[in-house]
Amino acid sequence: MNLTIANVGKCYRGNLWALRNFSLELKPGVLGLLGPNGAGKTTTMSILATITRATEGHVSWNGVDIASQPNMLRSVLGYLPQDFGVYPNLNAVEFLEYLAAVKGLDATTSRRRIDELLNLVNLADVRKRPLGGFSGGMKQRVGIAQALLNDPQLLIVDEPTAGLDPEERVRFRNLLSDLSGERIVILSTHIVSDVEATATDIALISQGRLVAHAAPEELLQGVEGKVWEWVVPSSELNTVKQRYVVSNTIRRSDGVHVRILGPDRPAGSQPVLPTLEDAYLFALSNHRAGAVAA
Amino acid sequence: MNRSRLLYHLVKADFLERVRRYSFLLTLAFSVYLGYAAYTGKIMLRLDDYRGIYNSAWLGGLMGIVASCFLTLVGFYIVKNSIQRDQQTRVGQILATTPMSKTFYTLAKTISNFAVLAAMVAVMALAALCMQFLRAEDPHIHLWPLFSPLLLFAMPAMAFTGALAVLFETLPVLRGGVGNVAYFFLWVALLAGGGISDLEMGKPHHDSLYFRDFTGIASVMSQMRGGLLQVDPNYKGGSSLNIGQNAPTKRFVWDGVSWNSIQFLARLSWIGWAAFTALIAAIFFHRFDPAREWFPQKRRILPAWANGVTEPVVHAVQKNVHLTPLTRSAPTNRFAHLVVSELRLMLKGLPWWWYLGAAGLFIACLASPLGASRQGIVVAAWIWPILLWSQMGCREAHWSTESLLFSCDHVLWRQLPATWSAGVLIALLTGGGLGIRLLIAGETNGVLAFLAGALFIPSLALSLGVWSGSSKPFEALYTVWWYIGPMHHVPGVDFIGTTSESSQPLRFLVLALFCLAAAFLGRRHKVAYA
Repeated sequence: MNLTIANVGKCYRGNLWALRNFSLELKPGVLGLLGPNGAGKTTTMSILATITRATEGHVSWNGVDIASQPNMLRSVLGYLPQDFGVYPNLNAVEFLEYLAAVKGLDATTSRRRIDELLNLVNLADVRKRPLGGFSGGMKQRVGIAQALLNDPQLLIVDEPTAGLDPEERVRFRNLLSDLSGERIVILSTHIVSDVEATATDIALISQGRLVAHAAPEELLQGVEGKVWEWVVPSSELNTVKQRYVVSNTIRRSDGVHVRILGPDRPAGSQPVLPTLEDAYLFALSNHRAGAVAA
Repeated sequence: MNRSRLLYHLVKADFLERVRRYSFLLTLAFSVYLGYAAYTGKIMLRLDDYRGIYNSAWLGGLMGIVASCFLTLVGFYIVKNSIQRDQQTRVGQILATTPMSKTFYTLAKTISNFAVLAAMVAVMALAALCMQFLRAEDPHIHLWPLFSPLLLFAMPAMAFTGALAVLFETLPVLRGGVGNVAYFFLWVALLAGGGISDLEMGKPHHDSLYFRDFTGIASVMSQMRGGLLQVDPNYKGGSSLNIGQNAPTKRFVWDGVSWNSIQFLARLSWIGWAAFTALIAAIFFHRFDPAREWFPQKRRILPAWANGVTEPVVHAVQKNVHLTPLTRSAPTNRFAHLVVSELRLMLKGLPWWWYLGAAGLFIACLASPLGASRQGIVVAAWIWPILLWSQMGCREAHWSTESLLFSCDHVLWRQLPATWSAGVLIALLTGGGLGIRLLIAGETNGVLAFLAGALFIPSLALSLGVWSGSSKPFEALYTVWWYIGPMHHVPGVDFIGTTSESSQPLRFLVLALFCLAAAFLGRRHKVAYA
């Protein structure tokens, strides 16, 4: 089972390239697609979910180009879009039954599976209530259930934790980890902690280009010895922000504890262990600096 | 910010948002088409066998009437989405947090609607000018006779239409498809109440006619008829605005509308009515708070908390994930299952009285004499499900489920035919009483016409829904078509075949096929890798 993305690009009207020369080779596991807003994550997800055509490049599922045989991928695809709607007059069971019918699933087995899924996403108690009355978080859970309806080999989830409360987020991350065994899961987000908890691989994307693709440990190794904590008076904070890449600031009684990224140690600062957020910000700032220089 | 500046910015933002959409170009294209239809004689104003020389006065009168009559119908459907757009884009929720009053908002929306409609009228004014040059029957351009009917007949009518659109949007009952259908009948009533049928040859009419004359057609016609009577004393008094008929053989010179203070006042009164309607709309406007709706929403689709239901608690501790392995259905079962699902989706949420009405019409078709069933009851039976058909092809766009559906396998060749089949089933079920009667009576042509109608209606709905992404075009077009064709048994337009003379099943079978092909092409365009 593998998904190959080769030199994929997407150009919108007005010669606006949302994605350029994007290449990845994916095997079973959870890929965290991490990038700031507007980086091209949703465009990538839409192309992989066969919603949008790529302008250039190819996407292959098990060696077969999805442009020539999209249904081969669609039949094993589970997709949770960033924004989606529901039919307000249907209840959760009816909505999932409808989508099961569209996906061509057998009525009897899909009914049993719907019960299990609603139980899994904790909607069993409100299964007969029309979706029009559901909160944003409950709708998101219906979205998660529909993505798992056909037991997908490729599960694409775009900003899945948006609208979920902290407990729901933890639960969803655990669910993703449990599901990832024999399938490819692509999790797109700009929330580093979502990826930190679940991803076996991370792809960093910025300004429509792949910045890095590595295991979380490799990304952390790349920033080791480049993260410093420095205590400065509040009055100097702005100057520090202008001179260094700052990943975090905390105000304490002895001053502001500033977390700085960079190869050179500022005088008076202490080296600290990097987090994935440090690695993410470091890679992005390097990419932006490179883009400006180019 | 002072009030006039606030009003200006509300109107400006709304107007710019509309005119920068591609759909606005289509709107203007419709105005250009109306001008072209008048130029080529497809739309013709005739007084028995006469028409006026194409001078500024006649062209101004013609264009004023065409704009007033047609744009008040089509324009309503074009502008009836301004509040809905604020709701969908969630700009409304931001506006609701400002000190802006409800009256101010509905007034601004009315002016913005009027601005869009006025742009369409302006295109027609330009068309009138071009037409005089191109027709070259009178080279002298007189600006007042050319433009005054557009300014004084069409513009006030546009203001009132814009206000009605706002009122319909604020009333929950008229906001959706019911309003789209109801407006057509209101428009017919306004036209009929305009007093054109009250005009009697050689007799003066009461000034109140001017105040009832929404479009201005009676005012113009009465003066045109008076002008012709002076030229030809044998003129019998016939006058009509025709579409697609033979051109009159005789011509006369008409000098234009002779305006008096009563007429001015009457036209201004329609602007007053527009302002009054906007004020009424403010009473019903919910200010983007569902709790303020005049008519309560269905209790079962209110937020869970409103029904005393607490959101299910989620625990971070994971249950064991156990999912039943899946099997795929056989292709035929799969399609039948999907058709049933589509049918269920269409019928879900309908009130009990809808089923009662449908059952009543079915039984009435079955129990009444064949003539009454074919010419009357089935006509009612096939307007009854209009709001079900109008959802076809656009439901996915309306409820934002496109990304969920279009990533499913074989969606084009399975889901779209299933939707269409469900629409055909609705037609067969609601009009089935007549079908059975025709079968029993052995009326082969009648059965064929019935089947052609049952296939044509969902095909038309599907194609319009897919291409427009909205239920409105079908609701408007179908209502007008249904009124002209089956209601008045007009040959060539009567898709049900209500009489032997008006029945043309082959034409509607071909049209059904054409619409179906258009629907497939439209959906294919939307689904990547279809």
